[in-house]
Amino acid sequence: MNRHEEHEEKYVVNLFNPKQGYMRGEVVIILAILVGWGVMNFGFQAVLWLLAENPLGEGIFTRLTFFNLPYHFWFTAQFLPLWFIILCVIFNVYLDRLTERHSRRRDRTYE
Amino acid sequence: MSNDPVKFWPLLIVTGVLVSFVVAGLRAKSQEMSDYGFSGRYIGRIGGGAAIASNWMSAASFLGMAGLLYLQGYFALAYVIGWTGGYVLLLVLMAGQIRRFGKYTAPDFVGTRYDSDVARLLAALISITISVIYCVAQFKGIGMLFGWLFGIDYGRGVVLGGSIVVCYVVVCGMLGVARNQQLQYFVTIVSFILPLMYLAHRFGYFWILPQFGYGEGIQDLATEFSINFSAPFASGSPFQWVALCFTLMVGTAGLPHVLSRFYILPNIRDARWSVVWGLFFIALIYWSAPAYAVFARLLEARGGYIPDPGAAHKMADIMVLKTAVMGGVPVWLTGLLAAGAVSAAFFTVTGLLMTGAASLSHDIYYRLINPRASESRKMTIAKGGTLVLAALVLLIALKPPALIAEITAVAFALAGNTIFPAFLLGIWWGRANRHGVIAGMVLGVVITFAAPLAGNMVPLIATLFPATSSAFCGAPLVILVMVVVSLLTPPPSDEMRRFLAEQVHGHLD
Repeated sequence: MNRHEEHEEKYVVNLFNPKQGYMRGEVVIILAILVGWGVMNFGFQAVLWLLAENPLGEGIFTRLTFFNLPYHFWFTAQFLPLWFIILCVIFNVYLDRLTERHSRRRDRTYE
Repeated sequence: MSNDPVKFWPLLIVTGVLVSFVVAGLRAKSQEMSDYGFSGRYIGRIGGGAAIASNWMSAASFLGMAGLLYLQGYFALAYVIGWTGGYVLLLVLMAGQIRRFGKYTAPDFVGTRYDSDVARLLAALISITISVIYCVAQFKGIGMLFGWLFGIDYGRGVVLGGSIVVCYVVVCGMLGVARNQQLQYFVTIVSFILPLMYLAHRFGYFWILPQFGYGEGIQDLATEFSINFSAPFASGSPFQWVALCFTLMVGTAGLPHVLSRFYILPNIRDARWSVVWGLFFIALIYWSAPAYAVFARLLEARGGYIPDPGAAHKMADIMVLKTAVMGGVPVWLTGLLAAGAVSAAFFTVTGLLMTGAASLSHDIYYRLINPRASESRKMTIAKGGTLVLAALVLLIALKPPALIAEITAVAFALAGNTIFPAFLLGIWWGRANRHGVIAGMVLGVVITFAAPLAGNMVPLIATLFPATSSAFCGAPLVILVMVVVSLLTPPPSDEMRRFLAEQVHGHLD
């Protein structure tokens, strides 16, 4: 990363430093989805751990029920897979629009 | 299990289902021939999703997951989350990009992107190893199923079942049977959920959606028998849960036979949407699996028979069928359930053996040993390879090292430690080069097998890189090593970096 740098400028591909245009829009939604993915899943487990009252992990969430299921069990077993589906739908809708916008600008039919 | 009678009706139904797949495949083939050159068969987004789901459903999803839930309760939900959440990673980070890259198999992608035969060979060997480990888990399922069907012990069951699955693969290959994955998915889902509805109805729970109905079961277990099925950390610490879950997620996004599913639909947009449908179809099974575990616990507790941990561990992998039998499910429905399990395992084995054999004949033999080999020579190598791999799998499966889902998890850990970083940096970081990827993949292999081989000597390894969950600490470490080694060595060729920037990431600019 020193003398190559200038030469590399033109074809640089980096998730954390996307180039202008389509890639930037794509990376924004990717990072947003990944945040939603990580926070809901790992975040909930962390909350469960923080609120645990004994080594088994029982706490407020294990006592509450939802759809007859203990709340934490419902959240992990049923809601999280659904949440992943929702994330994928959001991603696809956004990417469809992004692609259409850029295709129109290039005056090209869709893919 | 050795003195059980032969289960006549289930056996008949299993045979009937397997034969009907061959017949349907042959009919589809003759139809496709007549359509050939006209428009091809467009299966659409939902059909593509069903294909993704049926490609995914294996003995681990059908038998192993419910078995682990039965043993470990909440802890085993890490499998449910890992195997669904991985598809989010796959969709947002890779699906569109690998398609634009245009290389369909893991060794092909790695070999082309990093322009290196050594990297290609490594990726091929890793793909083959993943196929073998994954197949061992399937063979364990097949062995237990055939043991149950014929009333014989596990050893004979696995030899019998293994021989039958290899014959099935060979016969289907010779007849050129087309795989109807939509039909396969339909059979799998119906056979999994119908018995569940019956059981929920019998318990007096909400049976129309047994996925919700089993909630009452958890509460009954707690109030009637004070069995706490849902305690979060009863079977493992939060670290173990997260490590397992993360490993399965990155493994899903790096599994060779899953990655190559993005090419069955004509354009990227349909491919992306078919992933959503695929995830929905997979989730339908995973939403239901905990119900089998809860019903099994409940039936045992009410029958006054609670097995000791050793016995429970031994039968966990076939717990789904045992529950149906214990719960008095009619024999035809039990047969259907067995048929679903057998076909999930059979078709996974077919796909995995073919992927492994293709790596052997194309990526190793043709690309590296004999570039002038004829098509028929390659075919011979692939066929021979299938049999050799199957024999190897059978040998390992005779003494299965762990539960089905746990064996499968090791395959995911390997994929997450090697193929996933290679794809991730290969697509998203133009500077990643061959030295980096070779160093990273070698380290990934070492990390994956460190705990099984050296975990007893160095407890720290077993803690940080547990066999089923090594990618949580492993994958970031591999990525770090790939980055450092890449920066210390010369960058990849200008053509490759230009191709990445202009075709893979700049196709619309």
